[in-house]
Amino acid sequence: MRVTVEPTYDMSKVLGVDSFEVEDVATVAEAVEKARERVGDEFEKLSRVAAIAVNGVLVSHTKGMKTRLSDGDRISFVKAAAGG
Amino acid sequence: MIKGYAGRILEVDLKNKTFEFKPLDEDTARLYIGGKGYGARLLYDLTSAGIDPLGPDNVLIFATGPLNGSVAPQSNRFAVVCKSPLTGGIGSATCGGSYAYGMKKAGIDVLICRNAAERPLRLEIDGDNSDVKFVDASDLWGKGSYETQKILGEKKNHAVIGPAGENKVLFAGIVSNERIAGRTGVGAVMGSKNLKAVTVSGSRKLEMEDKAAFAAYTKEVRALFRDHPVLGNSMAAYGTAAIVNTTNARNIIPTHNFKYGHFDRAKSISGEYMADHTLVGTKSSCIHCPVTCGRQVDLPGIGTVKGPEYETLGLMGSNLEISDIEKIQEWNYLADDMGMDTISLGAVLSFTMELQERGMLDSGLQFGNPAGVSEMIKDIGHRSGLGDDLADGVKRMSAKHGGEAFAMHVKGLELSAYDPRGSWGQGVEYATTNRGGCHVSGATMYMESVGPFTINPQNYKLKSDLPYVQQNIAAAINSMVLCIFTTYGIVPKFVHEADPKSWKFRAAVAAFENSGPLFRWVNSIKGKPMLWFEKWLTLITGTNISSGHIQEIGARIFNLERMYNLREGLSAADDTLPPRMLNESIFPNMKAGHPLGELLPRYYQIRGWDSRGVPTEKTLKKLQVAV
Repeated sequence: MRVTVEPTYDMSKVLGVDSFEVEDVATVAEAVEKARERVGDEFEKLSRVAAIAVNGVLVSHTKGMKTRLSDGDRISFVKAAAGG
Repeated sequence: MIKGYAGRILEVDLKNKTFEFKPLDEDTARLYIGGKGYGARLLYDLTSAGIDPLGPDNVLIFATGPLNGSVAPQSNRFAVVCKSPLTGGIGSATCGGSYAYGMKKAGIDVLICRNAAERPLRLEIDGDNSDVKFVDASDLWGKGSYETQKILGEKKNHAVIGPAGENKVLFAGIVSNERIAGRTGVGAVMGSKNLKAVTVSGSRKLEMEDKAAFAAYTKEVRALFRDHPVLGNSMAAYGTAAIVNTTNARNIIPTHNFKYGHFDRAKSISGEYMADHTLVGTKSSCIHCPVTCGRQVDLPGIGTVKGPEYETLGLMGSNLEISDIEKIQEWNYLADDMGMDTISLGAVLSFTMELQERGMLDSGLQFGNPAGVSEMIKDIGHRSGLGDDLADGVKRMSAKHGGEAFAMHVKGLELSAYDPRGSWGQGVEYATTNRGGCHVSGATMYMESVGPFTINPQNYKLKSDLPYVQQNIAAAINSMVLCIFTTYGIVPKFVHEADPKSWKFRAAVAAFENSGPLFRWVNSIKGKPMLWFEKWLTLITGTNISSGHIQEIGARIFNLERMYNLREGLSAADDTLPPRMLNESIFPNMKAGHPLGELLPRYYQIRGWDSRGVPTEKTLKKLQVAV
């Protein structure tokens, strides 16, 4: 199974890509772990106030880090913002 | 006269070139504050039902409020109110810049423009001498909004239209400095009156009930704003463009004429990207505002100009599938100079692209391809060729060329850059807001999908309560006239810094989500002023204003606007969303689109409306809405 991880803008700058794919992950927790490995030491700092969404839906409204993934899902790190 | 008001209404007859200063009505000021609310009251009373919005019987009202003219942050905006040529209902828009400050210095709370001039003219209002000059403006006719202001004098306070207003583009706006009263076609109404510009001058000082307390408290608020994650940091660093990556991650950024809610190249049109690549050092703000949300960019051959806001990036970037930020910056400048609303413009362009894609209209405009867009913007502004059709907006375009199923408007006003399928409360707000598909008449999406403390945007909890409360607050704020961004400050710093993944945070969100009637009750309490705009109003006018008063005044304004719309022939059938929003799903967890039909009855009930969406006599009496 393959899912797309969409990091925050700051994480993307560290990685040099807008998004990346990870394989063989069944839950959000596993996908986040792969992201942690990829981002490296700065992961905690860059993700601390970021929520996590699967296909746009925050996992805090579903089953949290245990939310199960399907092939083709998009996992996004979401930073709160304001505009209009 | 109540402190905070100049006490004067200036009424001009553009046809007969006469003017009269009249006293402001204190009772109306107490009931409707000023700005959008006072303007709605005047529009209702001064016009007959069924008038042509672009005919001489429409009135064009510029209205300030008691906070304008002060040094309170975000407080120098004016409202424009008229019958909208785009929706046929209430037309209103607010604008920053310096014009509101100028009006108050001139000692004018409200300017009413009646009739239509026979030839292009402009007004020069000298508040100190209570004089108005009707000046021939033939030399300015056809000039862009920027050049017009430059010719008139950049240090003076103007409200002007560009070619779009002159040519009655139905989504033309009115420009002050680099800001625009963009929505509902107020610029077309100004153009229909052959009024190119209004310049105001004067040296009056704003009177306050407790000036010393106001000054001391404003100092505190400025410090609070400086330290706030949004008003002090994010807005100053990225402007409104800060939310591109957030709405994209939440699957609600308009993409491909709202067919999708996610754009793979969104990072390239984000505020962060602009900060890294295209912004130049200068920031800009409305007069006396420390937030400095304005961004500046360099345009080849033009110079340093205003950069695009979030709505422009959404509607003219992802919605057209364009990730070339320099193109969007160019289009933003063109639209501003033409004097037109980039939200409606982006929506009509994406609609035209979808017609092209489906073989329904050959315009040459294609998703993902910037070719022809600059030329089309100019054609719209001048009503040349096919641009003449686009200048009438999405609703009329779809009536002429087909495509009602993907015509993205409510009541004729094109949707802002938040897909309501991922923000159900925002969908209720779009459907019920009196001026149509607008996001600043409540900004419910902030508490659903964008801000730091968001409820589940896809269940039935709070989805009628939240828009109700937010719409009331926004109606009052737009009547003070304060910037709606001030509401971002209500969410304190510690919430922004909390980890949304923690159990405490999630528990707090769940408690709020389940608060429904309690949330409305707390907001309705008439006690002491708590928030800064309540305190400012109290210190300036001497009348105690609390959240309960704000809710009551806001509901009064909202219901008067509703009664105006009903009088003009709108009905509950217009409280809807585009078919694409109701029928097509973009979330794997949703089988269909937005469940509006299940949410509206409760909203009507909360509002005190009957099942046909008509305010009951009891509601109107309770709110003192005379109709």
